[in-house]
Amino acid sequence: MATLLKDSRRLGEDEIRRLVDPDRGIVSGRVFTDPDVYQLELERIFLKSWCFLGHESQIRNPGDFFASAIGEDRVIVVRGENNEIHVLLNSCRHRGLAVCGTDRGNTSMFICPYHGWGYARDGSLLAVPLLREAYHGNLDKSAMGLVRVPNVASYKGLIFANWDEDAMPLEQYLTPEQMWYLDLPLVGALGGLEVIGPVMKYRISTNWKLASENFAGDDYHVLTTHGSAFKIGFLPPYDMVADYIAYFDNGHGMGDIPKPGRALENDLHMAQMFGPEGVEYVQAYNQRLREHLSERQAEIHGLGEGNIFPNMSWIKFGCFHVLGLYSWHPKGPNELEVWQICLFDSAAPPAIREFARTQMSQENAAGGIFGPDDGENFERISEALRGKVTGGSNLHYAMGVGHDGQLEVEGLPGKLGPHFSEQNHRNFYRHWLKLMTAA
Amino acid sequence: MSAMNGYRHELKAEIESFLFHEARLIDAYRFEEWLELFADDARYWMPVVETLEGESDSDPVQGEWAVMEEGKAFLAKRLERIKSGMAYAELPRSRTRRVIGNVLVEGEGDELTVHSNFILFQGRRDKDGDFFVGRREDRLRRAGNGWLIAERKVFLDHRVLPRAVSVFM
Repeated sequence: MATLLKDSRRLGEDEIRRLVDPDRGIVSGRVFTDPDVYQLELERIFLKSWCFLGHESQIRNPGDFFASAIGEDRVIVVRGENNEIHVLLNSCRHRGLAVCGTDRGNTSMFICPYHGWGYARDGSLLAVPLLREAYHGNLDKSAMGLVRVPNVASYKGLIFANWDEDAMPLEQYLTPEQMWYLDLPLVGALGGLEVIGPVMKYRISTNWKLASENFAGDDYHVLTTHGSAFKIGFLPPYDMVADYIAYFDNGHGMGDIPKPGRALENDLHMAQMFGPEGVEYVQAYNQRLREHLSERQAEIHGLGEGNIFPNMSWIKFGCFHVLGLYSWHPKGPNELEVWQICLFDSAAPPAIREFARTQMSQENAAGGIFGPDDGENFERISEALRGKVTGGSNLHYAMGVGHDGQLEVEGLPGKLGPHFSEQNHRNFYRHWLKLMTAA
Repeated sequence: MSAMNGYRHELKAEIESFLFHEARLIDAYRFEEWLELFADDARYWMPVVETLEGESDSDPVQGEWAVMEEGKAFLAKRLERIKSGMAYAELPRSRTRRVIGNVLVEGEGDELTVHSNFILFQGRRDKDGDFFVGRREDRLRRAGNGWLIAERKVFLDHRVLPRAVSVFM
């Protein structure tokens, strides 16, 4: 791997440990604003974790590609000749500029617009203009391919990459307990999941962790931040939607897990909108979950939302809801780019697909009635924490301290907690601290 | 001036007045009056714009997910939400100011296609503020002495939106 840019003042291990005390639920405001903390995160978190890049349905055919990023490093995700997936640093080995300047497409070669160097789908350097005349044969093309991210893996269509050569396997990182839940939307689709339309992108002037930790199970904010949705009848009363949260190893967490049985009830209620076709769809979806997963999973299929540390969050509420996938792309300690895709069952009836798609636009997206309120509140945190006194104060993550993971519901894996607890946040910062202090 | 030219000229002035009036209603928070400018079967669509190779490919596609895609009933829900006292993205209310220009009217009779460009400033609390820039393609339908918006398509020129969308365009 290329030499890292190390321009930040080194924070000592003791200094980092003073910033967070996960067991007591203490997180210093500096964690969200300090440029040195941020630089260290890019190195110790984003270069050491499995980062989410996109979904396989975005690149179905050889040569299909889309642009993405790991931390602030731009990458290209490409489907190769034999269906394999390459993740390449989007930077010409000659003068560094991005060789891919579009969002997505299909190509046999990425050609640098500066001097014309051309790279194959697997990143190898194919073409150098005037190679013989200008370089006198002194250019080893085989050593000058686009830098490849060494570890690339998919889990049921979700594409991840990791710069760390010694990374644990993706499935181990995701943990079987977490995937027991996320398998519901990934497996439930009768005809497979497919992305519907482009990546939606917008900015929030905030720190990436505020969005990431929120999806890890901050069900508490829903009552206030999204209070308007209840007031206008866009959401049923919250206690009818979900009951538990859960956290997992490696910083992952999720919220809005419903009591077994509740999900089917909610879906059948919604099915009335579509008539018999809707009821049939609910039944087929549940049948599939029971056959391919388990009875218990089918009973709680209405969940929920979650966060795969560090940069992927997901949301899904029942079989009429799309699977929304968010990637959090940090752009400095106080700037975040949200990338969001929307996936749905390719075999769902058109009317249901249409409903699911527009519902997501109206709900948890850039122009929906949830997204803007979250963004506004995260910005207000970041604005306040810029102050010397405010930024140096400790924030409170202590709800439910002493009761982490103590809830037990038969058949539900993970460390369960009640609907309202900050146990998942503490788990998030426990893992954050572990990575940040691993030299 | 021929009769036809006179008609086009008057029509353009009439449509411009309509759009400027609409802009004023939104910027003055007169949302109920604004909503009345939409036909009951109106459709509002703001697709996601992508950066792709080749211009012809870059037109957004119907049936894909969008920043906004809704009818009048959901626009009404948005107004209800703003009044709920819990719509924090608009609490306190953003100051908006928009300039509508380059108005082109196509067609004649009771249904017209109207193209316009806009620059919209959103001032939020004590922040610097953000600009949204784009073009609109409206389908206007004659109703009595006035016009109704039967369809509005908003094509933003931003690949990455400067912030989540809590204002009307």
